[in-house]
Amino acid sequence: MMAATTTSPDTQRDATSARRRRSPAWRVIHFLGSLKLALLLLATIAIACAVATFCESRFDTKVAQAYIYKAPWFVVWLGLLCVNLFAVTLTRWPWQRKHLGFVITHYGIITLLIGALIGSKFGFEGNVTLHRGAPPLDRITTGRSVLQIENPATGEFPVEPFDAQFARPTEARPTTIPAPGTPWVIRIDAHTENLGWDEHLVADDSPRAQPGIEMTFASRMMGQHLALPFVFRDGGAMARDFFGLAKIMFLDRLPARRSILISESQLVFAKYASVVQSADGASTGVRAALSADGGTVRVTLPDGRSTDLDRARIFGQPQKLGAATITVSEYWPDFELVAGKPRTASNQPNNPAALVRVEAPHPGAGREPRLEIAPTPSGIAYQLSRGDFLVSHGAARVGEPFPLGWADWSATLAKSLPKARIDSHRRPGATGMPGEPGLRAQLVGPDGATGPAQWIGYGDTATLAFRDASVRVGYGLESRRVPFTIGLKHFEVPRLEGTETPANFISTVEFRDAQTGAAQEGVAEMNHPASWPGGAFALATGLNYKFSQAQWNPKDLDETTLQVLYDPGWLFKWSGSLAICAGIFIMFYLRPKKK
Amino acid sequence: MRPLLVLALILAIGAPARALDFKPLEAIPVQEGGRKKPCLVFAEENLLALSGRTALTLDGRTQSALEILSGLWLAPEAWGSKPILLVNNLPFKSAAGLDEKRKWFSRDELAANPRFLALLQHAEAARRTAMDGKLTGTNQQAAQVGERIARLDQLRGGELLRVVANPAGADAAWFPLPPDDPALAALRGAFVAGDPAAFAKAAAALRTALAGEAPQFQPPAWKIALEVAYQKVHPFRWAWILYLAAGITLAVTSLRGRRAGYLVAWLLAATGALFQIAGFASRIAIAGRPPVSNMYESVIWVAFGAVFFALIFETIFRGRYFLLGATFAAVIPLLLADSQPLALDRSIHPLTPILQSNFWLATHVLIITLSYAAFLLALGVAHIALGKVLLGRPPSAALYNYIYRTIQVGVLLLATGTILGAVWANYSWGRFWDWDPKETWALVALLGYLIVLHGRIAGAWGGFGLALGAVLAFQSVLMAWYGVNFVLGVGLHSYGFGSGGFGYALTFVAIELAFAAAAAIRHRAGRSAIPRTGGDATVLADQSA
Repeated sequence: MMAATTTSPDTQRDATSARRRRSPAWRVIHFLGSLKLALLLLATIAIACAVATFCESRFDTKVAQAYIYKAPWFVVWLGLLCVNLFAVTLTRWPWQRKHLGFVITHYGIITLLIGALIGSKFGFEGNVTLHRGAPPLDRITTGRSVLQIENPATGEFPVEPFDAQFARPTEARPTTIPAPGTPWVIRIDAHTENLGWDEHLVADDSPRAQPGIEMTFASRMMGQHLALPFVFRDGGAMARDFFGLAKIMFLDRLPARRSILISESQLVFAKYASVVQSADGASTGVRAALSADGGTVRVTLPDGRSTDLDRARIFGQPQKLGAATITVSEYWPDFELVAGKPRTASNQPNNPAALVRVEAPHPGAGREPRLEIAPTPSGIAYQLSRGDFLVSHGAARVGEPFPLGWADWSATLAKSLPKARIDSHRRPGATGMPGEPGLRAQLVGPDGATGPAQWIGYGDTATLAFRDASVRVGYGLESRRVPFTIGLKHFEVPRLEGTETPANFISTVEFRDAQTGAAQEGVAEMNHPASWPGGAFALATGLNYKFSQAQWNPKDLDETTLQVLYDPGWLFKWSGSLAICAGIFIMFYLRPKKK
Repeated sequence: MRPLLVLALILAIGAPARALDFKPLEAIPVQEGGRKKPCLVFAEENLLALSGRTALTLDGRTQSALEILSGLWLAPEAWGSKPILLVNNLPFKSAAGLDEKRKWFSRDELAANPRFLALLQHAEAARRTAMDGKLTGTNQQAAQVGERIARLDQLRGGELLRVVANPAGADAAWFPLPPDDPALAALRGAFVAGDPAAFAKAAAALRTALAGEAPQFQPPAWKIALEVAYQKVHPFRWAWILYLAAGITLAVTSLRGRRAGYLVAWLLAATGALFQIAGFASRIAIAGRPPVSNMYESVIWVAFGAVFFALIFETIFRGRYFLLGATFAAVIPLLLADSQPLALDRSIHPLTPILQSNFWLATHVLIITLSYAAFLLALGVAHIALGKVLLGRPPSAALYNYIYRTIQVGVLLLATGTILGAVWANYSWGRFWDWDPKETWALVALLGYLIVLHGRIAGAWGGFGLALGAVLAFQSVLMAWYGVNFVLGVGLHSYGFGSGGFGYALTFVAIELAFAAAAAIRHRAGRSAIPRTGGDATVLADQSA
């Protein structure tokens, strides 16, 4: 392969320039392999990457990937770099001993980039969340947004990569995708980042209709106002989650809850933090504070509302604030402790302190807050509870708001119907609360006729109608079937000594071949992935699925999330990598000495 | 808030007599932060966290960390009023209405300051609403001071001082001494009375008693002794002093006494490197892993690498310039690491799970940081070359060749280290390369140096361009090394994240760019005035193939 090393640089330079004069093909090769082109490519790639990292810091990873790292122009640029790397090795033809490192390095980079291309075309990355004791899974969620469009002929759901956030379809510039197995196309002409449910209670005459109510919830602090309808479903209760803050339940009758009064005494200082003592260790959640001159007591209830009271006027007299009773029973303008007994050093408010007794229902701090609503013969009744503890209760009358004690939220009964149903549809910005991404789609026939447009939320499936027929369309992260199942047998989180800080995460999983049923155990821990199938061949070629530890749930130690990698470009990647390092070393340190 | 009541009860106890000797407490093992460390290290780390210093002047005399810790532990009542909490940020001090001339404040005066308390509450509210729990500006400063107060309270309660081994297992949490422990009571009595003899006796008794608790889980005595010695010797401080001496020796003997000066400088630099090696060996022995897991460790390692490469090159080329460039280039990071303990945390921590692999740490991280070291050396030598240009003395071809040789080492190591990082990521994170900011900036730096090398082969620039390139491309190394963790603050390499020093880094970059620009202007002017010197052409001919 190598020509004799006796050729001097000058004779080679002459030979190559003669070659360029003679042949246009060689001229093109010399242009493509020119150092000037290489410098241009290196510089643009470096600048683009640098810009992208700032982009990522300023916006997010998706933006940087869409406009730079995974943008078509960047891929073309890398392709051009490959051409340049290849052409430059040809310009040195015939190779000599001194070109060894140079050729190995440049081909190494090409091999690595080919590996990257194969990996991104035929491989995939995803993740899977496993639970101990749950049935094994045969699906992996990838990071790719897709449309899954039903083929009515076969019943299959072919996958079509689509991310509305970057395609940004509009009515003027819609995206059209053929619906497989039909003569129609799906037209996507709008997208949103804030899709919500628009829900209202409407009267229903059908015999199966059930009683229902509509509540409105408002928070001034969050600037929110939203309506939530509830109806009994098949005679059963209906529950909703309230932004993860609380649970709201519409029941046929209110469950019995305990109401326990607890009392605490608070030694409140104007200048220092208070000393709180309670009889049974539970805290009322009520906070008292003393103004700097000792004249005003500010009482803050657990729901955040606070009231200022004139200390002198209310001294010794119980005050009812919400569900709590507050009594200021002692006051020292200039507090000091002498022989363990408090007394006042002077009449000047140098160190004002007061003893405040608080009596309030057990707030059930730390337990899940709940709003329970039920019809009674006299109207609609509600109760607020935390765990088993009743916090407050009352009658909900139309148009009369009552506080919930969850931040500054209040609730109002908007209407109550004996026979009702919930009318709901999706709409961007429906609730005013942050929603989810979504797109608007409709079916279009070959004649241009259209079906009704419909919003599809991320992670949802919707049915698009067209004349008498319909097609089901799902939008969201791709869920990919793999040829085996994986189940979690054991999950372990060793800790650093004497702390709760994790030192490692160890998932023991069981793989089972979907066809042969052969089982194989794997252990995925930090820096040591589990692989399926095992074996040296699969390890070297990357024709296996690697499961690396990705996430855990500190609240549920039977749950683990593994990152999944299937990378058929792996062989090219590691051999290219090896060639680059070896090539640079040879080029720099093993070059034959000049004569 | 019981301490406040107790505070009202008991008057401040007089400062203990000077004669108390705290040395016997030094080597008592304390479990903290996932490992067992000597009490001396515990004391210095905690005082550093409270006050930004490892010793403080209080009541008119300098007190060691161990003395202050003992005071907090044995006579907590007196410490509410002592100014030991660092509040350093000027805008924050003015927002909280604190005296801007003072650096340290007492717990009581902060707790009685309503504006400070309001800022603290505001920060707490901001932390709850912040998406990622990260705070900025005044909130961050308030939270930092709040953490110092909380730490002080915990130290006063003695609950952080977990010295009683737990027989339940090697990983089980140790206990603090119960307040009524007789050995502790004796020690407290002797401390309050200021009786040196009784204190020495009580300390020895306590040490013996503690060593007898679950002896199978006590750390080996050599390890504790080694860490005490490491903590006291400050090998990395000695290293920069020696490097600085070596650099100055080289500089002043550049005209006269060159041979002798060279020899002395060589010995000084080698001794400095030996100090660093001893320091690394200690850290490895103490932590049981390669010493490159946080910014502090990487900074001192890079400084070492620059000197290490310079010494190797000097044995080959005997050129002076490597050593001169390396010593000054190494002094700056070492000085930074020594003087900024709050920004660069020198304490030894156990590894986060993602780094729990000695093989990959030793290969990927050591190699990457060694490449930074080579580029730092190239930067140092390039500064000499550009300095010569600025002074109107064209550098020799040999000097330019030194820069070329050094960049070669850096490129080989950076390419290898980056690729090893990708292979590690393939196993650890389940992907080979995904444009994580750290990966990307390593690539940008590599491309930068490749441009410098290829441009020279193409004849686009010569030796001077190489020197200029070594300075400019180093800014991308700075970005990959410091910027990604401290400026961008996104990505998967989050275990290295930190904050602070942005202004200094920006100033450094600005000075470097100004220096490079000045040299370029001078070079152009010089070139048009006199015929092109042989230097550039010779190097060019030497390397083009």
